[in-house]
Amino acid sequence: MEKIKQNPFVKKVGFNRVVLCFVLILLYGFFCAMTQGEFAGISRILSALNYAYFLGFLSLGVTFVIATGGIDFSIGPVMFCCALVSGFSLITYGVPMPLVMVISILVGLCFGIFNGYLVAYWSVPSFITSMASMNIAKGLASVFTKTQSVSWPQSSAEGGWYRYLVKMGDIPIGLFIFLVVAVVCAIILNKTKMGRYILSLGSNKEAVRLSGVNVKKWEMTAYIICGVLVGIGALFYVSAYTTVQPGYGDQYNNEAIAGCVMGGTSMAGGLASISGTVIGVFIIALLQEGILALGFSKDYQLIITGIIVIVAVFSDVVARRRKN
Amino acid sequence: MGEVILTMKDIDKSFPGVHALDHVDLEVRKGEVLALMGENGAGKSTLMKVLTGIYKKDSGTITYEGKEVEFANTKEAQDAGIVIVHQELNMLGHLTVAQNIFIGREFKKGIRIDDKKMNDEARKLFQRLNIDIDPRETMSRLTVGKQQMCEIAKAISHDAKVIVFDEPSAALTETEIQELFKIIRDLREKNMGIVYISHRMDEIKVITDRVTVMRDGTYVGTLITKDSTKDDIINMMVGRVIYEDPKTQSMVPKDAPVVLKVENLNAGKMVQDVSFELHKGEILGFSGLMGAGRTETARALFGADPIDSGNIYINGSKVTINNPQDAVKNGIGYLSEDRKRYGIVVQKTVAENTTMATLENYMSGIFIDKKKEKEVAEKYVESLATKTPDVDQLVVNLSGGNQQKVVIAKWLTRDCDILIFDEPTRGIDVGAKSEIYKLMNKLAADGKAIIMISSEMTEILRMSDRIVVMCEGRKTGELDISEATQENIMNLATREIE
Amino acid sequence: MANNTTKTAGRNRSVIDRLGGQKFIVLLVVIALFIFFCALSPNFRKYTTFLSILDYSYYITLMAIGVAFPLMTAGVDLSIGTGLICYSLVGGYLITFQGWPTWAGILASIVFGMAIGVLNGCLVALMDLPPFLATLCTCMITRGLGSIIVGRVGISWPAAGTEGGWFRSIFKIQMNGMNIPIGFLWIIIIVIIMTFVLNHTKIGRYTLAIGSNKEATRLSGVNVKFYHIFAYVISGFFAGLAAISYSAIFATVQPGSGAGFELEAIGGAIIGGVSMSGGAGSITGTLAGVFVICLLKTGLPFIGLAANWQQIITGLVLIAAVLVDILKRKKDQA
Repeated sequence: MEKIKQNPFVKKVGFNRVVLCFVLILLYGFFCAMTQGEFAGISRILSALNYAYFLGFLSLGVTFVIATGGIDFSIGPVMFCCALVSGFSLITYGVPMPLVMVISILVGLCFGIFNGYLVAYWSVPSFITSMASMNIAKGLASVFTKTQSVSWPQSSAEGGWYRYLVKMGDIPIGLFIFLVVAVVCAIILNKTKMGRYILSLGSNKEAVRLSGVNVKKWEMTAYIICGVLVGIGALFYVSAYTTVQPGYGDQYNNEAIAGCVMGGTSMAGGLASISGTVIGVFIIALLQEGILALGFSKDYQLIITGIIVIVAVFSDVVARRRKN
Repeated sequence: MGEVILTMKDIDKSFPGVHALDHVDLEVRKGEVLALMGENGAGKSTLMKVLTGIYKKDSGTITYEGKEVEFANTKEAQDAGIVIVHQELNMLGHLTVAQNIFIGREFKKGIRIDDKKMNDEARKLFQRLNIDIDPRETMSRLTVGKQQMCEIAKAISHDAKVIVFDEPSAALTETEIQELFKIIRDLREKNMGIVYISHRMDEIKVITDRVTVMRDGTYVGTLITKDSTKDDIINMMVGRVIYEDPKTQSMVPKDAPVVLKVENLNAGKMVQDVSFELHKGEILGFSGLMGAGRTETARALFGADPIDSGNIYINGSKVTINNPQDAVKNGIGYLSEDRKRYGIVVQKTVAENTTMATLENYMSGIFIDKKKEKEVAEKYVESLATKTPDVDQLVVNLSGGNQQKVVIAKWLTRDCDILIFDEPTRGIDVGAKSEIYKLMNKLAADGKAIIMISSEMTEILRMSDRIVVMCEGRKTGELDISEATQENIMNLATREIE
Repeated sequence: MANNTTKTAGRNRSVIDRLGGQKFIVLLVVIALFIFFCALSPNFRKYTTFLSILDYSYYITLMAIGVAFPLMTAGVDLSIGTGLICYSLVGGYLITFQGWPTWAGILASIVFGMAIGVLNGCLVALMDLPPFLATLCTCMITRGLGSIIVGRVGISWPAAGTEGGWFRSIFKIQMNGMNIPIGFLWIIIIVIIMTFVLNHTKIGRYTLAIGSNKEATRLSGVNVKFYHIFAYVISGFFAGLAAISYSAIFATVQPGSGAGFELEAIGGAIIGGVSMSGGAGSITGTLAGVFVICLLKTGLPFIGLAANWQQIITGLVLIAAVLVDILKRKKDQA
């Protein structure tokens, strides 16, 4: 074990991430074996990828928030709110598609500002703001759509080109877009002032403040990034599934957080890994597709993700205990 | 003087990197007050923590009432009759006084907690100690002094045979201290063994029977209080002189310009009407007892806490400081007394901490220029002689003194003209201390103006060009180094203010 | 002399403080809201409206009383909402599909609730997980479990008048053709009992002590872990009770629902003066706080706002309540 950990390649990539990759491969092998190879087919993989995209954006977003030592579990309902509000304006008011996309992102942005402002400037605990904005998002979406579900246009219909976001034929365009966004996120987190301050204030906010840094601004920024990514995630959700219903979306909170903490982002803040989050999201997406393939209901997914989060966060707690 | 009730022999304790206790001995007798003295970091508190089971000793023996004991936790020690009245209060602010005193051993009537009986018992306890506190009052509404009295009452209610007072007087007013002494004398009458940890020489003379002195984690010796002079004790405490000689006169040129002028600063209860001037190239010592409002003054000046009123002038022009950003923009840097909490970001590297206040100088476009960042960090590692394998090391892995140097580097990159050092050598081992001192002198010689808050008298006298003394939130005096002595500083620091 | 101290302390307190502080203000808000809705809508003034307010209030009040305990330890329990549905589904399933007698089904719901409470408590107190995260996970787990056990169909507990339907009359009885909401009587009794538990037993005392300063409580020799877990067990127990009241009031229970209930309960507790930072709170205040939420929930449709506005307003009210708590703490520190 120690030998593997000392291996220069493993050290560079990070032991945690190497293990996660193995888990991903093993899981894939397991599902292929259990379904007599049916799982290896392209359609299953594409379907798992569809799930990975929107979840991935949520997960990337929440990584920034968790890096500051906060939490956001309004992301699922907010994503639905984005998709519903923009979709409703598309269907009912005939707003052109590019503008609809902008609306979706703007709605996410507004929730990001709302959450961030309350947390950073008024020091409301982040889980309370999440709880509140979760309800506000659900309520707002219901009020806006008069509690009707919204169906975005099919690929063949007019304005259906937006579905190319996820795939064109069998080419998973979404994968490329997602990976590009992930790389941008990684650069923001590790190479820019914004990322440096977000991580630092997650580790020791007071010390950063006493260095003369405007910590409130940067803390709010993390929530805004999250909001924007959630708005983008909403577009990928409708591209994959077209129909959205008001009042739902909270099951995705846990899955997004699971992908994030599994990837090595610490709930205590200050430590975050975008590449870890990406692998974590793929594991979650694979898991959900696999569970369906084995003939189990979505409910098992809820339980399994719950347990994954508990185990991942607990191992982080243990690691921190050992350090002290 | 009574028989021996507690003996600690050859106690040894190491923490990673620090030999905190090096074969220390201690002997407590019934019906006496034993002073435990030593400078900050001499190991007094550690020794007491070993006694009450908070730390596990590496070797040595503890004999209590004739039997060898080893307590697993404070509860066991308490049950055996050894209690500590802590420096930092362990109180439950939302509960009442009586509920605090009897927490964990409430009186019960069936399943009901008998609060009435607890109040009565607490009242009896207070009567016995002659303290005026209503047991039904909510703890957080009491003054710090009263809260301390409650802690003492709680300790006594445990049927204690040995009571350790860990710097009990630090937060008390003069009258409260007199009350405390009355209580302690009373307890001595009742044949208890009392350990009294304090820095205050005059208190030691008044209240204690014997004095055990520790220095740098070792046992130095024990004296009978009434047969020894203050100098005897001080000599044992200080023992060797390792730093440079005390300053005898100010090193600041007479015509040095005023860099910072503070007029009638008010901020909360702890900063009242504070005014002073700071000159270029000067080290201005801030002396006073704990809770005198020195740190609060510094924090207000730095914008870390809100200012109620007062004027601040930098290089002659008035400035407004609402938050640390304003202060930093005006060239003020602050090195906190609590580095881990307010100074460094432990999970970040030396380089990242160094550039924390000046990140915008190391940007190329929107990206951080890590090469440039590393270069500047390396420059300061070299010039401050910080001991670290490389600048990519996490600060958490550095020793206290080297962490302090990283914080200093952070402010030097900012080119701050005014530096506030709050307890610059707290928790730093003796060797590293003199390096920090040298560095501060060099900074002053280079024209920086330094405010140094220190609770160590020797430090104040060695470093300062001028000394401001504070007491209970007010400035009580200002001394030039040439006229400052331990006595007249202490005099100002304990002055009663009407 | 001791008298003297009390007097000074007494003088420092305002009139509102002496009347019960925040509790008193919240009670005024409840009355004001009630008058407001009555004045604006004639329909609101009917007895049936009054009954439906109470119907909603039972399960929210029970959840709120329960969750007040984790809140007072400076934690939170987010699993009570989906938990309520899960316990109700399981109890109903055992009665209707497994032929259990009603009392056994009720007992099963409550025991299940307490079991999840123990799980939450262990995750928080023994494994040191952040409370909101641990209970968010159990929230998801109970939601999944409920659906898996009953197989994604709505469950109906025995109807009033049918065999085993007696439990519905715990909350409402018919007398001379009129519905008497006797459930409110039970709520009052439970409030009295829990006020006693909070203020006069070790459980309550240590719950507050843990929220006030956990380390100091531990150093006083209190079995902190046990009492910390116990706070979550109380929360689970009351979620179980709430499940019974929910099943008694509503005809069917749908799997997958229940998310959002916890917000109303937590909101009620915080409005009622339970501090987010732990250490302080009261059961009577919680009751008053819940009625603010219930009045908004039932009253808004009467003045022409869609029911969904209530979700938005609950969210905003929660933020407002937390802000009041934060400001109060700031004032206390100064």
